[in-house]
Amino acid sequence: MYSTADRAARGFLFSGILWLVLFMSMGLIIAVKQLNPDFFAHMPWLTYGRVRMVHVNGVLFGWLSMGLIGSMFYIIPRLCRTQLFSSKLATFTLVCTNILIVSMAVTLLAGLTTGIEYGEMIWPLDILVAVIAVTTLYNCVMTVAKRKENQLYVSIWYFIGSLIWLPLVYIIGNIPSEWIGGIQQANMNWFYGHNVIGLWFTTVGIGTIYYLLPILTKAPLYSHRMSMIGFWTIATFYVWNGPHHLVNGPIPLWLMKAGIVPSLLLIIPVWTVVANVFGTLKGHWHQVRANNSLKFLVTGTIFYLITCIQGPFQALMGPSSVLKFTEWVPGHAHMPLFGAFSSVVFAMIYYMLEKQHGKIHSRGMQEVHFYFSVVGYLFFGFSMWIAGVIQGFSWIDGEPFMASINAIKSLNMVRGIGGGFMLLGQIFFAINVWKTVKQQRISAQDLESDASVRV
Amino acid sequence: MFENKLGVLMAGAAGLFLLGTLATVVLPFTDTSMTTPTASAELRDYKPDSAEARGRDVYIANGCNTCHTQYVRPVKADANLGPVSQPGDYYFDTPHLLGSNRMGPDLMWIGQRQPSEDWHRRHLHNPRDTSPGSIMPAYDYLSDQETNDLIAYLLSLKPAAPGAKSEAEKKLEAQKGASE
Repeated sequence: MYSTADRAARGFLFSGILWLVLFMSMGLIIAVKQLNPDFFAHMPWLTYGRVRMVHVNGVLFGWLSMGLIGSMFYIIPRLCRTQLFSSKLATFTLVCTNILIVSMAVTLLAGLTTGIEYGEMIWPLDILVAVIAVTTLYNCVMTVAKRKENQLYVSIWYFIGSLIWLPLVYIIGNIPSEWIGGIQQANMNWFYGHNVIGLWFTTVGIGTIYYLLPILTKAPLYSHRMSMIGFWTIATFYVWNGPHHLVNGPIPLWLMKAGIVPSLLLIIPVWTVVANVFGTLKGHWHQVRANNSLKFLVTGTIFYLITCIQGPFQALMGPSSVLKFTEWVPGHAHMPLFGAFSSVVFAMIYYMLEKQHGKIHSRGMQEVHFYFSVVGYLFFGFSMWIAGVIQGFSWIDGEPFMASINAIKSLNMVRGIGGGFMLLGQIFFAINVWKTVKQQRISAQDLESDASVRV
Repeated sequence: MFENKLGVLMAGAAGLFLLGTLATVVLPFTDTSMTTPTASAELRDYKPDSAEARGRDVYIANGCNTCHTQYVRPVKADANLGPVSQPGDYYFDTPHLLGSNRMGPDLMWIGQRQPSEDWHRRHLHNPRDTSPGSIMPAYDYLSDQETNDLIAYLLSLKPAAPGAKSEAEKKLEAQKGASE
């Protein structure tokens, strides 16, 4: 059984799945276009540049952001032993978000864009984003303020922090070009592009990991103190990272350094999360085999670790001079967003459905979803990393530009196949969720407190 | 304990955020290398509704910047791309079009590297015509006006003569000279 308050959470998560399938298909269209530029060509609506913008915005805002907001609406009331402050407001936010995603796709395909990477949406849609961000913040903060549980579990720290950072990050990245352009705008663009990942997707994702992990393993969190250190260090270091996207570029050296040094320090918050997850799992690893939610959660954590080793490496001036602008970078960017935090939201959705509907429709389909996603992404990631290294050294050798493109054509094919498996996995996921919800099984324990989370 | 206080959490999160923002977003506005237009920037200061300005809009609307960067770095990989871009080169770029991916070559100084209008026309109409194996989509759907504007924009992407100084740079140097 799910309370009416959970309707908004479920609405966010299920809408997210729809957008996931739709906008990942757009990713596949891009991959095919890179192999055959005449695929869906000769028309403005489906030209490469526009489809790519819709793919990026669609998966970032339609899928992952909606999935994470849904997770927060589900988790926060439970950790606060209360109801969501206003389920009407949450439903309003849900409707706004879905309107946003549809308008985003239509405007970008029509060529209405600001041209700012990750901030492509035109200003009326920016206002809608602000409404969504502020109503979500208000709803969550009020729920926490009226909580019946004195302790603020670490997940709430991460959630509230992220909700404060999101509007600030978004505003700085989307100030109209007429007001601030040029290199300052590029710098602010990357401040936004980086922090929307680090202070929104990452931090809400970590909060969700900290909620699910003790419940799924039925073991107390390894160290509460360490999770606190993790929160405050990510809050301290992450926001400085933007300029590392312009390393070797047209910005002063001091600004590059201000971006690179904190990137290296990020290993501290990353390690607190990873050590906490592995510490909690000690003696419980056998459960990973049996529990598919846990499987996704652990996989997400491992991808998070790899992301945060790879990221600071490619931010250094030497590696950046080879890898920047190559396919390595999109290969890397998919790791936190798909490999790590999409996996966390998958875990969240399966966990919630199991609680509310008794059981997942098909374990087999769950396994297919898992292996297609993970193996598909590994093919996708490795082909792009290898392609990136080849491109980088081709440019360094001074070969004609076309040589760098011809050299990676077969790797682009592998990327397309990997991406195809990733998408296929999500189709199994969507069908499985649909069938599970149709079962209409009711579980009465759902609104019981999640006592195991307490430390 | 303070760790159960919502206020501490909210104030701390906002405070640390503002500190990093101050350093990496606000401080750059005080750096004259980032706030002074160069002579190359002046070449890109298009009049509203000029062919170049309209062409730039075509470039943005079709997402050309998803595959083409506009910056040359002082690294070996960029050695054949022309002069290294300076922060002030972008002074009049609204929005900036630096880009982040090179599925296609850098276009910072494409007007100098490829000055032929005819080449651009054939290339935009069918990229495989001029560059066999290219994976760029054909922009044959653009109207004649749009194509002409886009070409005007691409041809305008040229560096100023070596050593040329913008008005703002001259002023800055005069100020420096006076203070010494």
